Amino acid sequence: MTKQFAQICDLVETEPIRERDIDRSALIGNWINSNPDTSSIARINIFEADGKLQLQAFAVGPDGLIDWGTTPADVFAAGPASRVGAGFAATFDLGFADIRLQAMIMKGLLVLAQFHLIKDDSGRPSYFLREYYAKTHELLN
Amino acid sequence: MTQADKLLGRWLNTNHETRGIAECTVARDGDDISVTITGVGEDGPIQWPTVKATPLANLEEEAGQRTGALLATFDLGFMRAETHMRVNKGVFVIVLFATFLDDSGRANYLNREFFYKP
Repeated sequence: MTKQFAQICDLVETEPIRERDIDRSALIGNWINSNPDTSSIARINIFEADGKLQLQAFAVGPDGLIDWGTTPADVFAAGPASRVGAGFAATFDLGFADIRLQAMIMKGLLVLAQFHLIKDDSGRPSYFLREYYAKTHELLN
Repeated sequence: MTQADKLLGRWLNTNHETRGIAECTVARDGDDISVTITGVGEDGPIQWPTVKATPLANLEEEAGQRTGALLATFDLGFMRAETHMRVNKGVFVIVLFATFLDDSGRANYLNREFFYKP
């Protein structure tokens, strides 16, 4: 078939690549925020379930960590002909806000762009954060 | 000047041999902010549809400065390109998450490119 493209780098010949064909091993694991003074997401657990990448996020609250629960994530490769997972995108719907996450791995760090889209009528502005996470081999509960 | 105003203008790719995004223009349209992207094509530039962007305040300083970010999604029919854009030390950064909506078998992918103001 003729491939459509909006930039020449998308014009590649490749055997069909399905999402499950993309190696997610670099993404899977427990990630902790490099900034111990963060007031946002302190840690993220990334795992696979039902063939999908799943995220569980824990954010800093006044009395300890707040478990945001689990949400599925879409995996993104390093290029249109790549089978190497390089990042993900996901949304946590917290009711009063949608938290859109866009993540990429750089030099072993998970660089997480967070878009806090406020949905309630509190008058708080939506905002952006960018934080860094390191993979830890410690067991986190 | 708002945080988003620092993102306004015409930005050119620092890599003159890019095979991705050649340039990006961010403009204020009343209360809205619009983004136009030009991709590199086989026989010349490819104009992407202009879209409205969501400006977001940055609550923390990065590299000694505080600049907002833009969230913009381009529906190209065969592909959806979700992007975020910000400025770091005068460099405009676009991070693109491409999802193919056709059955071409190409992998969804991400890319990051850097731009300067001419």
